[in-house]
Amino acid sequence: MTRSQRVASSNFDIRFREALSLWQEEVVRLGLVDPVTTEMVRLRCAEHHDCHT
Amino acid sequence: MESFIDEFFRDVLGERTAVADNLADIHGLAWEVVDPVLLDLCRLRVAMLLGCQSELEILNTDLSSEKMDSLAEWPSSSFFNECEKSCLRFVEEFVVDVSSIPDSSAFAVRDHLGEEGFINFVNALLVVEQRIRLQIVWGKLFQEVST
Repeated sequence: MTRSQRVASSNFDIRFREALSLWQEEVVRLGLVDPVTTEMVRLRCAEHHDCHT
Repeated sequence: MESFIDEFFRDVLGERTAVADNLADIHGLAWEVVDPVLLDLCRLRVAMLLGCQSELEILNTDLSSEKMDSLAEWPSSSFFNECEKSCLRFVEEFVVDVSSIPDSSAFAVRDHLGEEGFINFVNALLVVEQRIRLQIVWGKLFQEVST
């Protein structure tokens, strides 16, 4: 299985892309969980999704 | 019009209306950027695999009863075309272990939907799958709190 990008570009529906960004920004701004726990969860999710960005 | 699932999310999120609004927006757009019948098949398969009864009780499109009834046996069923089978294979691997999806599965979906279609599909699947997982987790939490 390759770990390299499987598509030549990352272009997709611009409305969808912007809406996903807004959703993620809004979730990140929530302050109900302490920063250390938040960071642990973020890193665990990145590992789970094999996200290197 | 919002579904009872949208209302559930708004109830849970309470004053965090911006989060609820954004969640509703991305969910609505997911159904616009992907063939809704294809996404409905995938949504139902995710719900089956994760055991989300509330999602199994609704139908967002006019899926045929033959497809509905044979969805769990899609690999050997003649009711599904090759594009649908490729997407359902990808969906199952996505749900089970998202970081280990074989190239062959990803490239099969890409070949059927095109590059942009493939990216739209994966993002739409992410939205649908996360929404189902949230329903399951929040449903259990609220049930425990209310009992």
